[in-house]
Amino acid sequence: MQLKRPPSALHLGLMAASCALLSPAARVQAADSVEQPFELDSALLYYKENSGRVQTIEPVVSLKKDFGDQRILGGTFTVDSLSGATPNGALPSRKPQTFASPSSTSLIPQPGKKTTLYTIVPGNLPQDPHFKEQRFAGDADWSQPLGLDNTLSFGGHASTEHDFDSLSVHTDYSRDFNEKNTTLSAGVSEEYDQIHAHGGNPVPGSDYELYEHEGGQTKTVSGALIGVTQIMARNWLMDLNYTYDHSEGYLTDPYRILSVLDPLGSVTGYRYENRPDSRGRQGLYWVNKVAFGTTVLDVSYRRGKDSWGIGSDTVDAHLRIDLGRGVYLEPHLRWYHQSAADFYDLYLSAATPAPQFMSADPRLAAFIGTTAGLKLGVTIGRYGEMSLRLEEYEQRPSDQSSALPQLQGLNLNPNLTATIAQLSWRLQF
Amino acid sequence: MSTAARMAVAAPSAPDFQIAVRGDALTAVCFTAMASPCEVLLETADMQEVAELARAAAHEAWRIERKFSRYREDSVVSEINRSEGNPVAVDQETAALIDYAAQCHALSEGRFDVTSGVLRGCWRFDGSDRVPEVAAVARLLPLIGFEKLQWRSPQITVPPGMEVDFGGFGKEYAVDRVLAILCTQFPGAVLVNFGGDLASNCAPTQAPWQVGVERPGTDREARLLLEFSRGGLATSGDTHRFLERNGTRYGHILDVRTGWPVPLVPRSVTVAAGSCVEAGMLATFAMLQGRGAEDFLEAQGVRYWSLR
Repeated sequence: MQLKRPPSALHLGLMAASCALLSPAARVQAADSVEQPFELDSALLYYKENSGRVQTIEPVVSLKKDFGDQRILGGTFTVDSLSGATPNGALPSRKPQTFASPSSTSLIPQPGKKTTLYTIVPGNLPQDPHFKEQRFAGDADWSQPLGLDNTLSFGGHASTEHDFDSLSVHTDYSRDFNEKNTTLSAGVSEEYDQIHAHGGNPVPGSDYELYEHEGGQTKTVSGALIGVTQIMARNWLMDLNYTYDHSEGYLTDPYRILSVLDPLGSVTGYRYENRPDSRGRQGLYWVNKVAFGTTVLDVSYRRGKDSWGIGSDTVDAHLRIDLGRGVYLEPHLRWYHQSAADFYDLYLSAATPAPQFMSADPRLAAFIGTTAGLKLGVTIGRYGEMSLRLEEYEQRPSDQSSALPQLQGLNLNPNLTATIAQLSWRLQF
Repeated sequence: MSTAARMAVAAPSAPDFQIAVRGDALTAVCFTAMASPCEVLLETADMQEVAELARAAAHEAWRIERKFSRYREDSVVSEINRSEGNPVAVDQETAALIDYAAQCHALSEGRFDVTSGVLRGCWRFDGSDRVPEVAAVARLLPLIGFEKLQWRSPQITVPPGMEVDFGGFGKEYAVDRVLAILCTQFPGAVLVNFGGDLASNCAPTQAPWQVGVERPGTDREARLLLEFSRGGLATSGDTHRFLERNGTRYGHILDVRTGWPVPLVPRSVTVAAGSCVEAGMLATFAMLQGRGAEDFLEAQGVRYWSLR
């Protein structure tokens, strides 16, 4: 059915159009624009606890390089400097209280020893005003496909600060099923930490006045994760994860102490806290992402439980609202609740022998934490994005007062409020 | 994997290719891209020589798929379709494709239209009898029409609700691009075949390429065997993609002016032309003519094979 005829005007037009499409000019451009973008994420995080407590400024730089075929190398570098006052664990008192900063090597000024003391006025929460710390952290991750439907990733993390060094490695494997509508993942991780507090690690549970210190200590954390990600509908993605991790070693906070009180509530002394040397933690994490047109709702619930008796619930919701013209708004609400660790108490009683394990760390107390925030994002060009996030956090401990006569009217465990601001940029090139 | 990537339900192509020797003078590179089996034949028996070329060919096909697939959230097409009426500045390659779409729209007097994809919202050609409601089709018509887009290179503005899709010539474009890249690095004969759409620089020294064109959906002449030496060859057909109700067959070639299938289209049209995009577009234009497909092709002065 072959016909020899001159090309029609239409055919000539189509030839010209096709030649233009495949012309060397277009070709060179296409070859140049081979998309293996470099993605640079940077952010500046500002965190400030109110009433003169800790504040930090944390620059984060993260780089991601796509080598094509879903082979991705990522790396993050963070520097943060914390400064401000941090509670030492002792209770407010009707009398002035004097403590030594951890950098001191003695509680009493004496030749050859360095002593930095701070005194707390009656009624105030004892806080170390000299707290200052700088941390450098970096991590690297490699992810690549393994055969058709599998992805393997592994990575490492290292951080260092004056009194704490941490190294960890992890590997994750995921497999897609069901035309990539279902993904099963599993991962393991191992972390090794060294704790060498200013002036040596205090002997856990020892009398503060005796100032007994020992050398550096270590701890290890082994973790495992299994999860399933399921696309429920075109616009609904669900993620269910179970995590377990086990910590072993020196889990005590070397700077935390507890007040020892007589039956009237007067201070008779202080003790360094002492925590069990192992801890098992389980978490069940359920995430839903649902898109309503260009609006995306992200709701998650997490249930946590650990061998120290802390049970926790987190409900977290983000709503990303597309305002058009590359601008989006993202309100965020988070509610968190935890029960206290078995060995947590506000103070120790001088009338009874000290228990084996004890801590007055507010992070181990029962409390409710709420976060409310708003993020505004603007996309710039094809690949860039800039966003500003502002959040308020409030932590309300359930145990704030005591019936002991000397403690009446004192707020023993005040609410904590914090402001978080984060400015982020993302660039692809 | 990022959540965004997981939410794109589409299956990306297999990141893998195979190399095999065919006979004593040809080497084949096989991979999958754009949901099609892809094969590149090179006139050499040296598998080592081919390794780098194989990689270049597969990566170019995957690059085009990644960049222009409407199934991928991170593609340029998805970005344009998400723009909600805001102007989007595109790169030079995308601009060349939009220019081509504009020219094809004009040359076909509006029959070929890259905005017609929204009709997929009511037409599912799965061999069933689920023919859409007349009103449902009519509701989509205001969202179709290349002339409703604002295109001033490099800026395109797509009104809210409308979509563009280069699926009508994306595979053919990839075939021509891969051939062009291989020709700069390899002196011998090359045949690029992506699921039956193909292009070649020249025939091997021994004999022309023997090409089998699949024409499924028919009992007779299921495979068209032909000799081919250079240029492009592409097939358009309604094969398995149709609906049938009360004895009426509804093929997947839609008339953008009505939103309904073009009646009396051939089962399959294969066209030979200077390049794969050109051949593919001629085959598509012919199908859009329905009953007049063959007359149209004869008027163009091209080699073609049609099957009714």
